[in-house]
Amino acid sequence: MSRDVHSEVAGSVFELLVAPGDTVAQGDTLLLVESMKMEIPIEAPVSGVVAAVHVIVGDTVAEDQRVISIEAS
Amino acid sequence: MTWQPEIDEYARRQELARQMGGAEKVARHHANGKLTVRERVDALVDAGSFDEVGSAAGFPDYDAEGRLVGLTPANVVCGRARLDGREVFVTGDDFTVRGGANDGGLREKLAYAETQAVRWGLPLVRLVDGTGGGGSVRHLETLGRTYVPEVPIFAEVVETLTQVPVVALGLGSVAGLGAARVCASHYSVMVNGTSQLFAAGPPVVARAGEEVDKETLGGAAIHAKNGTIDDAVDSEAEAFERTRRFLSYLPSSIRELPARTACDDPVDRREESLIGVIPRDARRVYKMRPILEAVFDAGSVFEIGRAWGRSVITALARLDGWPVAVLASDPYHYGGAWTVDSSRKAIRLVDLAENFRLPVVHLVDIPGFLIGTAAERDGIMRYGTQALAAIRSSTVPWCGVMVRKAFGMAALSQRGGTRAFQRMAWPSAQWGSLPIAGGVYAAYRAEIDAAPDPAARQAEIEARLEAVQSPLRTAEAFGIEEIIDPRDTRRHLCRFATLAAPLRAGARGFGYRP
Repeated sequence: MSRDVHSEVAGSVFELLVAPGDTVAQGDTLLLVESMKMEIPIEAPVSGVVAAVHVIVGDTVAEDQRVISIEAS
Repeated sequence: MTWQPEIDEYARRQELARQMGGAEKVARHHANGKLTVRERVDALVDAGSFDEVGSAAGFPDYDAEGRLVGLTPANVVCGRARLDGREVFVTGDDFTVRGGANDGGLREKLAYAETQAVRWGLPLVRLVDGTGGGGSVRHLETLGRTYVPEVPIFAEVVETLTQVPVVALGLGSVAGLGAARVCASHYSVMVNGTSQLFAAGPPVVARAGEEVDKETLGGAAIHAKNGTIDDAVDSEAEAFERTRRFLSYLPSSIRELPARTACDDPVDRREESLIGVIPRDARRVYKMRPILEAVFDAGSVFEIGRAWGRSVITALARLDGWPVAVLASDPYHYGGAWTVDSSRKAIRLVDLAENFRLPVVHLVDIPGFLIGTAAERDGIMRYGTQALAAIRSSTVPWCGVMVRKAFGMAALSQRGGTRAFQRMAWPSAQWGSLPIAGGVYAAYRAEIDAAPDPAARQAEIEARLEAVQSPLRTAEAFGIEEIIDPRDTRRHLCRFATLAAPLRAGARGFGYRP
Protein backbone atom coordinates (compact mmCIF):
# COMPACT_ATOMS: atom_id res chain seq x y z
CA MET A 1 0.00 0.00 0.00
CA SER A 2 1.37 3.40 -0.97
CA ARG A 3 1.50 5.96 1.79
CA ASP A 4 1.92 9.69 1.17
CA VAL A 5 4.18 11.68 3.47
CA HIS A 6 3.34 15.36 4.00
CA SER A 7 5.42 18.26 5.23
CA GLU A 8 4.07 19.25 8.60
CA VAL A 9 5.32 22.81 8.18
CA ALA A 10 5.52 25.44 5.46
CA GLY A 11 9.09 26.12 4.39
CA SER A 12 11.61 25.19 1.73
CA VAL A 13 13.22 21.84 0.96
CA PHE A 14 16.71 22.06 2.44
CA GLU A 15 18.05 18.56 1.87
CA LEU A 16 16.73 15.30 0.42
CA LEU A 17 18.10 12.22 2.18
CA VAL A 18 16.35 9.54 0.12
CA ALA A 19 15.69 8.75 -3.54
CA PRO A 20 13.13 6.51 -5.25
CA GLY A 21 13.95 2.85 -4.64
CA ASP A 22 15.58 3.44 -1.25
CA THR A 23 14.49 1.21 1.60
CA VAL A 24 13.50 3.15 4.71
CA ALA A 25 12.52 2.18 8.24
CA GLN A 26 9.77 3.86 10.23
CA GLY A 27 11.23 6.95 11.89
CA ASP A 28 14.04 7.45 9.36
CA THR A 29 14.53 11.06 8.29
CA LEU A 30 13.48 11.44 4.64
CA LEU A 31 14.19 15.10 4.07
CA LEU A 32 14.86 18.36 5.89
CA VAL A 33 12.54 21.32 5.45
CA GLU A 34 13.91 24.70 6.42
CA SER A 35 11.42 26.71 8.46
CA MET A 36 11.95 29.44 11.07
CA LYS A 37 15.69 29.14 10.28
CA MET A 38 15.75 25.54 11.48
CA GLU A 39 16.13 22.24 9.68
CA ILE A 40 12.99 20.29 10.39
CA PRO A 41 13.19 16.55 9.71
CA ILE A 42 10.29 14.82 7.97
CA GLU A 43 10.29 11.21 9.11
CA ALA A 44 8.99 8.00 7.52
CA PRO A 45 5.61 7.13 9.08
CA VAL A 46 6.02 3.49 7.94
CA SER A 47 8.80 1.16 6.82
CA GLY A 48 9.00 0.44 3.10
CA VAL A 49 10.46 1.54 -0.19
CA VAL A 50 10.46 5.12 -1.43
CA ALA A 51 8.07 5.08 -4.42
CA ALA A 52 8.32 8.74 -5.39
CA VAL A 53 9.91 12.01 -4.32
CA HIS A 54 7.63 14.90 -5.28
CA VAL A 55 9.96 17.83 -4.49
CA ILE A 56 13.50 18.97 -5.21
CA VAL A 57 15.92 20.93 -3.05
CA GLY A 58 14.90 24.57 -2.91
CA ASP A 59 11.19 23.94 -3.54
CA THR A 60 8.80 25.91 -1.41
CA VAL A 61 6.37 23.60 0.36
CA ALA A 62 3.08 24.44 2.02
CA GLU A 63 1.86 22.98 5.29
CA ASP A 64 0.48 19.49 4.60
CA GLN A 65 1.91 19.35 1.07
CA ARG A 66 2.72 15.84 -0.15
CA VAL A 67 6.50 15.46 -0.45
CA ILE A 68 7.21 11.71 -0.65
CA SER A 69 5.32 8.46 -1.29
CA ILE A 70 6.36 5.22 0.36
CA GLU A 71 5.31 1.72 -0.67
CA ALA A 72 4.82 0.20 2.77
CA SER A 73 6.45 -3.18 3.34
CA MET B 1 -51.16 -8.30 49.67
CA THR B 2 -47.79 -6.69 48.95
CA TRP B 3 -46.84 -4.13 46.27
CA GLN B 4 -45.02 -6.82 44.28
CA PRO B 5 -47.40 -6.55 41.27
CA GLU B 6 -46.48 -2.88 40.78
CA ILE B 7 -42.79 -3.62 41.12
CA ASP B 8 -43.18 -6.39 38.53
CA GLU B 9 -45.02 -3.98 36.23
CA TYR B 10 -42.24 -1.40 36.61
CA ALA B 11 -39.66 -4.08 35.84
CA ARG B 12 -41.60 -4.93 32.65
CA ARG B 13 -41.38 -1.30 31.57
CA GLN B 14 -37.65 -1.26 32.31
CA GLU B 15 -37.26 -4.41 30.24
CA LEU B 16 -39.15 -2.82 27.34
CA ALA B 17 -36.97 0.30 27.61
CA ARG B 18 -33.82 -1.82 27.48
CA GLN B 19 -34.87 -3.00 24.00
CA MET B 20 -34.05 0.55 22.86
CA GLY B 21 -35.25 1.14 19.27
CA GLY B 22 -35.89 -2.57 18.65
CA ALA B 23 -33.83 -5.51 17.38
CA GLU B 24 -33.69 -4.27 13.78
CA LYS B 25 -32.42 -0.77 14.67
CA VAL B 26 -29.91 -2.21 17.13
CA ALA B 27 -28.60 -4.66 14.51
CA ARG B 28 -28.16 -1.83 12.00
CA HIS B 29 -26.33 0.25 14.63
CA HIS B 30 -23.98 -2.68 15.35
CA ALA B 31 -23.45 -3.23 11.62
CA ASN B 32 -22.18 0.37 11.44
CA GLY B 33 -19.43 -0.56 13.89
CA LYS B 34 -20.98 1.17 16.90
CA LEU B 35 -21.98 0.11 20.39
CA THR B 36 -25.48 0.85 21.65
CA VAL B 37 -25.83 3.45 24.38
CA ARG B 38 -26.29 0.74 27.01
CA GLU B 39 -23.22 -1.16 25.84
CA ARG B 40 -21.30 2.12 25.96
CA VAL B 41 -22.32 2.79 29.55
CA ASP B 42 -21.34 -0.77 30.51
CA ALA B 43 -17.96 -0.45 28.79
CA LEU B 44 -17.24 2.93 30.37
CA VAL B 45 -18.17 2.58 34.03
CA ASP B 46 -17.06 0.29 36.86
CA ALA B 47 -18.94 -3.04 36.66
CA GLY B 48 -22.27 -2.93 38.46
CA SER B 49 -21.92 0.75 39.43
CA PHE B 50 -24.57 2.25 37.10
CA ASP B 51 -27.68 3.48 38.92
CA GLU B 52 -29.98 4.50 36.11
CA VAL B 53 -32.41 7.39 36.50
CA GLY B 54 -35.58 7.37 34.42
CA SER B 55 -35.18 3.73 33.42
CA ALA B 56 -38.86 3.43 32.42
CA ALA B 57 -39.26 6.90 30.88
CA GLY B 58 -40.50 6.98 27.33
CA PHE B 59 -43.56 6.86 25.13
CA PRO B 60 -45.97 4.14 26.26
CA ASP B 61 -48.52 2.41 24.07
CA TYR B 62 -51.75 1.39 25.85
CA ASP B 63 -54.58 -0.72 24.41
CA ALA B 64 -58.30 0.09 24.72
CA GLU B 65 -58.44 -1.63 28.10
CA GLY B 66 -55.61 0.53 29.41
CA ARG B 67 -53.02 -2.26 29.35
CA LEU B 68 -49.46 -1.39 28.41
CA VAL B 69 -48.58 -3.11 25.13
CA GLY B 70 -45.34 -1.33 24.27
CA LEU B 71 -42.91 1.36 25.35
CA THR B 72 -40.48 3.32 23.20
CA PRO B 73 -37.84 4.63 25.59
CA ALA B 74 -36.80 8.25 25.69
CA ASN B 75 -33.54 8.42 23.76
CA VAL B 76 -31.45 9.67 26.64
CA VAL B 77 -30.05 7.10 29.09
CA CYS B 78 -28.58 8.62 32.24
CA GLY B 79 -27.60 7.91 35.80
CA ARG B 80 -24.96 7.86 38.47
CA ALA B 81 -21.96 5.59 38.06
CA ARG B 82 -18.38 5.14 39.21
CA LEU B 83 -15.22 5.47 37.14
CA ASP B 84 -12.23 3.85 38.83
CA GLY B 85 -14.15 4.09 42.10
CA ARG B 86 -15.12 7.75 41.74
CA GLU B 87 -18.75 8.91 41.47
CA VAL B 88 -19.70 10.56 38.16
CA PHE B 89 -22.88 11.34 36.26
CA VAL B 90 -23.23 9.75 32.82
CA THR B 91 -25.65 10.66 30.04
CA GLY B 92 -25.83 8.98 26.65
CA ASP B 93 -27.93 9.42 23.52
CA ASP B 94 -29.73 6.41 22.08
CA PHE B 95 -29.25 6.61 18.32
CA THR B 96 -31.61 3.66 17.76
CA VAL B 97 -34.57 5.82 18.80
CA ARG B 98 -35.23 8.63 16.32
CA GLY B 99 -31.51 8.86 15.49
CA GLY B 100 -30.85 10.32 18.92
CA ALA B 101 -32.68 13.50 17.91
CA ASN B 102 -34.18 15.47 20.73
CA ASP B 103 -37.72 15.08 19.47
CA GLY B 104 -37.31 11.37 20.28
CA GLY B 105 -36.74 12.24 23.89
CA LEU B 106 -38.49 13.72 26.86
CA ARG B 107 -37.42 17.32 27.28
CA GLU B 108 -37.54 16.95 31.06
CA LYS B 109 -35.20 13.95 31.02
CA LEU B 110 -32.63 15.66 28.78
CA ALA B 111 -32.69 18.69 31.08
CA TYR B 112 -32.30 16.46 34.12
CA ALA B 113 -29.38 14.56 32.58
CA GLU B 114 -27.50 17.77 31.76
CA THR B 115 -27.97 19.46 35.12
CA GLN B 116 -27.36 16.78 37.76
CA ALA B 117 -23.57 16.76 37.59
CA VAL B 118 -23.23 20.43 38.46
CA ARG B 119 -25.85 20.20 41.21
CA TRP B 120 -24.15 17.24 42.88
CA GLY B 121 -20.58 18.32 42.24
CA LEU B 122 -19.79 15.30 40.07
CA PRO B 123 -17.83 14.99 36.82
CA LEU B 124 -20.13 14.70 33.80
CA VAL B 125 -19.53 12.26 30.95
CA ARG B 126 -21.61 12.71 27.79
CA LEU B 127 -21.87 9.92 25.23
CA VAL B 128 -23.16 11.98 22.33
CA ASP B 129 -24.79 10.22 19.39
CA GLY B 130 -27.56 12.42 18.17
CA THR B 131 -28.56 15.24 15.92
CA GLY B 132 -29.85 18.66 16.79
CA GLY B 133 -32.28 20.00 19.30
CA GLY B 134 -35.21 20.39 16.96
CA GLY B 135 -35.11 17.14 15.06
CA SER B 136 -37.08 17.10 11.82
CA VAL B 137 -38.99 19.95 10.19
CA ARG B 138 -41.87 17.44 10.00
CA HIS B 139 -42.43 18.49 13.59
CA LEU B 140 -43.79 21.83 12.35
CA GLU B 141 -46.88 20.14 10.87
CA THR B 142 -47.85 18.45 14.11
CA LEU B 143 -47.14 21.64 16.03
CA GLY B 144 -48.96 23.89 13.56
CA ARG B 145 -46.48 26.69 14.14
CA THR B 146 -42.77 27.32 14.47
CA TYR B 147 -40.72 28.78 17.32
CA VAL B 148 -37.62 30.70 18.28
CA PRO B 149 -35.01 27.99 19.01
CA GLU B 150 -34.20 27.89 22.68
CA VAL B 151 -32.36 25.50 24.99
CA PRO B 152 -33.47 26.70 28.43
CA ILE B 153 -30.74 24.75 30.23
CA PHE B 154 -27.91 26.08 28.07
CA ALA B 155 -26.87 28.66 30.66
CA GLU B 156 -26.57 25.84 33.17
CA VAL B 157 -24.59 23.76 30.65
CA VAL B 158 -22.10 26.64 30.42
CA GLU B 159 -22.10 27.13 34.19
CA THR B 160 -21.33 23.41 34.58
CA LEU B 161 -17.98 24.01 32.89
CA THR B 162 -16.92 26.37 35.67
CA GLN B 163 -17.85 23.85 38.39
CA VAL B 164 -17.15 20.22 37.42
CA PRO B 165 -15.07 18.37 34.82
CA VAL B 166 -17.00 17.58 31.65
CA VAL B 167 -15.89 14.95 29.14
CA ALA B 168 -17.84 14.64 25.89
CA LEU B 169 -17.42 11.79 23.44
CA GLY B 170 -18.77 12.21 19.89
CA LEU B 171 -19.69 8.63 19.01
CA GLY B 172 -21.81 8.99 15.89
CA SER B 173 -22.89 11.68 13.45
CA VAL B 174 -23.51 14.64 15.70
CA ALA B 175 -24.95 17.90 14.42
CA GLY B 176 -26.37 21.13 15.77
CA LEU B 177 -27.04 20.89 19.51
CA GLY B 178 -25.36 17.45 19.58
CA ALA B 179 -22.20 18.99 18.15
CA ALA B 180 -22.37 21.85 20.66
CA ARG B 181 -22.73 19.31 23.50
CA VAL B 182 -19.46 17.74 22.33
CA CYS B 183 -17.69 21.10 22.22
CA ALA B 184 -19.05 22.39 25.54
CA SER B 185 -16.60 20.26 27.48
CA HIS B 186 -13.12 20.24 29.01
CA TYR B 187 -12.12 17.18 27.03
CA SER B 188 -13.69 15.91 23.83
CA VAL B 189 -12.94 12.85 21.75
CA MET B 190 -14.22 11.42 18.46
CA VAL B 191 -13.70 7.97 16.95
CA ASN B 192 -12.01 7.69 13.54
CA GLY B 193 -14.36 6.31 10.91
CA THR B 194 -17.52 6.04 13.01
CA SER B 195 -18.10 9.57 14.23
CA GLN B 196 -18.62 12.87 12.47
CA LEU B 197 -19.46 16.34 13.72
CA PHE B 198 -20.93 19.35 11.93
CA ALA B 199 -23.12 22.41 12.24
CA ALA B 200 -25.39 20.66 9.73
CA GLY B 201 -25.09 17.35 7.92
CA PRO B 202 -24.66 16.51 4.21
CA PRO B 203 -28.34 16.83 3.14
CA VAL B 204 -28.55 20.37 4.50
CA VAL B 205 -25.11 21.24 3.12
CA ALA B 206 -26.19 19.89 -0.30
CA ARG B 207 -29.03 22.41 -0.38
CA ALA B 208 -26.40 25.10 0.10
CA GLY B 209 -24.69 23.82 -3.04
CA GLU B 210 -21.98 21.53 -1.66
CA GLU B 211 -22.24 17.78 -2.34
CA VAL B 212 -20.16 16.00 0.25
CA ASP B 213 -20.30 12.80 2.32
CA LYS B 214 -20.39 12.98 6.10
CA GLU B 215 -16.83 11.73 6.63
CA THR B 216 -15.39 14.34 4.25
CA LEU B 217 -17.57 17.01 5.82
CA GLY B 218 -16.83 16.39 9.48
CA GLY B 219 -14.77 13.27 10.18
CA ALA B 220 -12.77 12.89 13.38
CA ALA B 221 -9.41 13.67 11.75
CA ILE B 222 -10.69 17.03 10.47
CA HIS B 223 -11.78 18.18 13.90
CA ALA B 224 -8.78 16.78 15.78
CA LYS B 225 -6.66 18.89 13.44
CA ASN B 226 -8.63 22.13 13.72
CA GLY B 227 -9.12 21.92 17.48
CA THR B 228 -12.91 21.54 17.46
CA ILE B 229 -12.28 18.42 19.55
CA ASP B 230 -9.22 17.47 21.58
CA ASP B 231 -8.38 13.99 20.30
CA ALA B 232 -9.39 11.40 17.70
CA VAL B 233 -9.02 7.73 18.64
CA ASP B 234 -9.45 4.45 16.78
CA SER B 235 -12.12 2.76 18.90
CA GLU B 236 -14.88 3.53 21.36
CA ALA B 237 -12.96 1.46 23.95
CA GLU B 238 -10.01 3.83 23.56
CA ALA B 239 -12.32 6.83 24.00
CA PHE B 240 -13.59 5.36 27.29
CA GLU B 241 -10.03 4.66 28.46
CA ARG B 242 -8.99 8.25 27.74
CA THR B 243 -12.07 9.51 29.60
CA ARG B 244 -11.00 7.65 32.74
CA ARG B 245 -7.42 8.80 32.35
CA PHE B 246 -8.32 12.48 31.83
CA LEU B 247 -10.57 12.56 34.88
CA SER B 248 -7.90 10.93 37.05
CA TYR B 249 -5.93 14.23 37.11
CA LEU B 250 -8.89 16.40 38.08
CA PRO B 251 -10.97 16.94 41.21
CA SER B 252 -14.66 15.95 41.11
CA SER B 253 -15.60 19.60 41.37
CA ILE B 254 -14.03 22.95 42.21
CA ARG B 255 -15.01 22.33 45.84
CA GLU B 256 -11.97 20.03 45.95
CA LEU B 257 -8.36 20.25 44.83
CA PRO B 258 -6.71 17.77 42.45
CA ALA B 259 -5.73 14.72 44.48
CA ARG B 260 -2.20 13.49 44.94
CA THR B 261 -1.62 9.84 44.10
CA ALA B 262 1.08 7.47 45.30
CA CYS B 263 4.34 7.83 43.39
CA ASP B 264 7.14 5.29 43.34
CA ASP B 265 9.29 7.26 40.89
CA PRO B 266 12.14 8.81 42.96
CA VAL B 267 11.98 12.62 43.06
CA ASP B 268 15.75 12.82 42.68
CA ARG B 269 15.91 10.55 39.63
CA ARG B 270 18.51 12.06 37.27
CA GLU B 271 18.11 11.47 33.57
CA GLU B 272 21.65 11.42 32.17
CA SER B 273 20.62 12.03 28.55
CA LEU B 274 19.27 15.50 29.39
CA ILE B 275 22.74 17.06 29.57
CA GLY B 276 23.15 16.57 25.82
CA VAL B 277 19.61 16.46 24.48
CA ILE B 278 19.56 20.00 23.08
CA PRO B 279 21.80 20.20 19.99
CA ARG B 280 24.54 22.82 20.14
CA ASP B 281 23.83 23.57 16.47
CA ALA B 282 20.97 26.09 16.58
CA ARG B 283 19.57 24.82 13.27
CA ARG B 284 19.01 21.31 14.62
CA VAL B 285 15.83 20.22 16.37
CA TYR B 286 15.25 17.67 19.14
CA LYS B 287 12.30 15.70 20.45
CA MET B 288 10.44 17.26 23.36
CA ARG B 289 8.21 14.29 24.25
CA PRO B 290 11.04 12.07 25.58
CA ILE B 291 12.13 15.05 27.73
CA LEU B 292 8.64 15.20 29.24
CA GLU B 293 8.77 11.45 29.92
CA ALA B 294 12.14 11.93 31.58
CA VAL B 295 11.16 14.70 34.02
CA PHE B 296 7.58 13.89 35.05
CA ASP B 297 6.50 10.84 37.08
CA ALA B 298 7.11 7.69 35.03
CA GLY B 299 4.17 6.98 32.73
CA SER B 300 2.16 9.98 33.97
CA VAL B 301 2.24 12.21 30.87
CA PHE B 302 -1.23 12.35 29.27
CA GLU B 303 -0.99 14.40 26.10
CA ILE B 304 -4.05 16.29 24.90
CA GLY B 305 -4.63 17.63 21.38
CA ARG B 306 -1.66 16.08 19.64
CA ALA B 307 -3.04 16.68 16.13
CA TRP B 308 -3.56 20.45 16.26
CA GLY B 309 -1.61 23.57 17.22
CA ARG B 310 1.34 21.24 17.03
CA SER B 311 4.17 23.63 17.87
CA VAL B 312 2.72 23.55 21.38
CA ILE B 313 2.37 20.33 23.37
CA THR B 314 -0.31 20.32 26.07
CA ALA B 315 -0.61 17.57 28.65
CA LEU B 316 -1.59 16.59 32.15
CA ALA B 317 1.08 14.86 34.21
CA ARG B 318 2.23 14.23 37.77
CA LEU B 319 5.20 15.33 39.84
CA ASP B 320 5.78 13.25 42.96
CA GLY B 321 2.12 12.31 42.60
CA TRP B 322 0.79 15.89 42.33
CA PRO B 323 -1.27 16.51 39.16
CA VAL B 324 -0.01 19.42 37.05
CA ALA B 325 -0.78 20.94 33.66
CA VAL B 326 2.06 20.90 31.14
CA LEU B 327 2.77 23.34 28.35
CA ALA B 328 5.79 22.60 26.16
CA SER B 329 7.21 23.37 22.73
CA ASP B 330 7.66 20.98 19.83
CA PRO B 331 10.49 22.36 17.66
CA TYR B 332 9.51 19.93 14.87
CA HIS B 333 6.71 22.41 14.13
CA TYR B 334 7.98 25.82 13.06
CA GLY B 335 10.84 25.47 15.52
CA GLY B 336 8.30 25.83 18.35
CA ALA B 337 6.94 29.17 17.08
CA TRP B 338 3.41 29.86 18.22
CA THR B 339 0.76 29.85 15.51
CA VAL B 340 -2.89 30.91 15.84
CA ASP B 341 -3.79 27.30 16.65
CA SER B 342 -0.92 26.87 19.13
CA SER B 343 -2.11 30.01 20.89
CA ARG B 344 -5.69 28.71 21.05
CA LYS B 345 -4.44 25.38 22.35
CA ALA B 346 -2.33 27.05 25.04
CA ILE B 347 -5.37 29.11 26.13
CA ARG B 348 -7.44 25.94 26.42
CA LEU B 349 -4.86 24.34 28.71
CA VAL B 350 -4.42 27.46 30.85
CA ASP B 351 -8.21 27.78 31.26
CA LEU B 352 -8.40 24.14 32.36
CA ALA B 353 -5.54 24.58 34.83
CA GLU B 354 -7.03 27.78 36.22
CA ASN B 355 -10.48 26.29 36.63
CA PHE B 356 -9.39 23.13 38.43
CA ARG B 357 -6.35 24.61 40.20
CA LEU B 358 -3.59 22.68 38.50
CA PRO B 359 -0.14 24.26 38.81
CA VAL B 360 1.43 24.78 35.38
CA VAL B 361 4.86 23.65 34.22
CA HIS B 362 6.01 25.28 30.98
CA LEU B 363 9.02 23.93 29.09
CA VAL B 364 9.90 26.92 26.95
CA ASP B 365 11.46 26.87 23.47
CA ILE B 366 9.72 29.62 21.55
CA PRO B 367 11.55 31.49 18.78
CA GLY B 368 8.56 33.85 18.64
CA PHE B 369 5.14 34.01 17.11
CA LEU B 370 5.09 32.53 13.62
CA ILE B 371 6.11 35.24 11.13
CA GLY B 372 5.25 35.79 7.49
CA THR B 373 2.24 36.53 5.30
CA ALA B 374 0.33 33.32 6.13
CA ALA B 375 0.64 33.97 9.86
CA GLU B 376 -0.51 37.58 9.46
CA ARG B 377 -3.49 36.47 7.35
CA ASP B 378 -4.44 34.06 10.14
CA GLY B 379 -4.37 36.90 12.68
CA ILE B 380 -1.45 35.68 14.77
CA MET B 381 -1.09 38.77 16.96
CA ARG B 382 -4.77 38.78 18.02
CA TYR B 383 -4.68 35.14 19.15
CA GLY B 384 -1.11 35.32 20.41
CA THR B 385 -2.04 38.30 22.56
CA GLN B 386 -5.07 36.41 23.88
CA ALA B 387 -2.78 33.54 24.88
CA LEU B 388 -0.39 35.89 26.68
CA ALA B 389 -3.37 37.51 28.43
CA ALA B 390 -4.71 34.11 29.54
CA ILE B 391 -1.30 33.15 30.94
CA ARG B 392 -0.72 36.49 32.64
CA SER B 393 -4.14 36.49 34.32
CA SER B 394 -3.88 32.91 35.59
CA THR B 395 -3.52 32.61 39.36
CA VAL B 396 -2.20 29.07 39.87
CA PRO B 397 1.47 28.50 40.75
CA TRP B 398 3.60 28.50 37.61
CA CYS B 399 7.03 27.10 36.79
CA GLY B 400 8.99 27.92 33.66
CA VAL B 401 11.89 25.82 32.44
CA MET B 402 13.79 27.73 29.75
CA VAL B 403 14.96 24.87 27.57
CA ARG B 404 16.14 26.79 24.54
CA LYS B 405 14.70 29.87 22.84
CA ALA B 406 12.57 32.68 24.24
CA PHE B 407 12.36 35.57 21.81
CA GLY B 408 10.12 38.56 21.32
CA MET B 409 6.57 38.94 22.56
CA ALA B 410 6.13 35.17 22.68
CA ALA B 411 8.71 35.11 25.49
CA LEU B 412 6.01 36.78 27.61
CA SER B 413 4.40 33.34 27.70
CA GLN B 414 6.13 32.96 31.05
CA ARG B 415 3.72 33.96 33.77
CA GLY B 416 5.81 36.25 35.95
CA GLY B 417 3.80 38.77 37.96
CA THR B 418 3.19 38.81 41.68
CA ARG B 419 1.97 35.25 42.22
CA ALA B 420 4.08 32.17 42.93
CA PHE B 421 6.36 31.82 39.95
CA GLN B 422 9.56 29.84 39.69
CA ARG B 423 11.87 29.94 36.71
CA MET B 424 15.04 28.17 35.78
CA ALA B 425 17.06 27.83 32.62
CA TRP B 426 19.04 25.09 30.99
CA PRO B 427 22.50 26.15 29.78
CA SER B 428 21.18 25.78 26.20
CA ALA B 429 18.80 28.70 26.77
CA GLN B 430 18.98 31.84 24.66
CA TRP B 431 16.70 34.84 24.63
CA GLY B 432 16.21 38.39 23.56
CA SER B 433 13.89 40.78 21.77
CA LEU B 434 14.94 39.45 18.37
CA PRO B 435 17.00 36.45 17.31
CA ILE B 436 20.40 37.84 16.35
CA ALA B 437 20.33 36.59 12.76
CA GLY B 438 17.00 38.28 12.11
CA GLY B 439 17.81 41.51 13.88
CA VAL B 440 21.35 42.34 12.76
CA TYR B 441 20.59 43.86 9.39
CA ALA B 442 17.70 45.92 10.75
CA ALA B 443 19.88 47.35 13.52
CA TYR B 444 23.17 47.83 11.64
CA ARG B 445 21.85 48.52 8.13
CA ALA B 446 23.85 51.72 7.51
CA GLU B 447 27.11 50.20 8.73
CA ILE B 448 26.62 46.96 6.75
CA ASP B 449 25.61 48.74 3.52
CA ALA B 450 28.60 51.08 3.74
CA ALA B 451 31.13 48.31 4.27
CA PRO B 452 33.34 47.20 1.34
CA ASP B 453 32.19 43.62 1.93
CA PRO B 454 28.68 43.90 3.47
CA ALA B 455 28.28 40.15 4.02
CA ALA B 456 31.58 39.93 5.87
CA ARG B 457 30.70 42.95 8.00
CA GLN B 458 27.33 41.40 8.86
CA ALA B 459 28.98 38.11 9.87
CA GLU B 460 31.47 40.01 11.99
CA ILE B 461 28.71 41.87 13.84
CA GLU B 462 26.76 38.65 14.32
CA ALA B 463 29.81 36.97 15.86
CA ARG B 464 30.25 39.90 18.26
CA LEU B 465 26.64 39.66 19.37
CA GLU B 466 26.73 35.85 19.68
CA ALA B 467 29.54 36.26 22.18
CA VAL B 468 27.26 38.10 24.63
CA GLN B 469 24.33 35.74 24.09
CA SER B 470 25.36 33.21 26.77
CA PRO B 471 22.67 32.77 29.45
CA LEU B 472 25.47 32.86 32.02
CA ARG B 473 25.83 36.60 31.32
CA THR B 474 22.08 37.03 31.90
CA ALA B 475 22.40 35.12 35.19
CA GLU B 476 25.22 37.44 36.30
CA ALA B 477 22.78 40.36 36.01
CA PHE B 478 20.05 38.29 37.75
CA GLY B 479 18.08 38.44 34.50
CA ILE B 480 17.40 34.76 34.99
CA GLU B 481 16.88 33.39 38.49
CA GLU B 482 18.91 30.21 38.13
CA ILE B 483 20.72 28.10 35.56
CA ILE B 484 20.33 24.40 36.34
CA ASP B 485 21.92 21.17 35.24
CA PRO B 486 19.21 19.67 32.98
CA ARG B 487 19.72 16.34 34.72
CA ASP B 488 18.38 17.88 37.93
CA THR B 489 15.17 19.16 36.31
CA ARG B 490 12.95 16.50 37.85
CA ARG B 491 14.14 17.22 41.35
CA HIS B 492 13.45 20.94 40.93
CA LEU B 493 10.02 20.33 39.40
CA CYS B 494 8.97 17.91 42.16
CA ARG B 495 9.93 20.49 44.76
CA PHE B 496 7.93 23.10 42.84
CA ALA B 497 4.85 20.82 42.88
CA THR B 498 5.21 20.26 46.61
CA LEU B 499 5.54 24.00 47.33
CA ALA B 500 2.67 24.76 44.94
CA ALA B 501 0.21 22.32 46.52
CA PRO B 502 -0.94 24.51 49.44
CA LEU B 503 -1.17 27.57 47.16
CA ARG B 504 -3.61 26.05 44.70
CA ALA B 505 -6.87 27.06 46.42
CA GLY B 506 -8.19 30.49 45.61
CA ALA B 507 -10.38 32.60 43.40
CA ARG B 508 -10.16 31.95 39.70
CA GLY B 509 -8.68 34.67 37.55
CA PHE B 510 -11.38 34.21 34.90
CA GLY B 511 -14.26 31.95 33.88
CA TYR B 512 -14.17 29.00 31.55
CA ARG B 513 -14.51 29.39 27.78
CA PRO B 514 -15.18 26.19 25.86
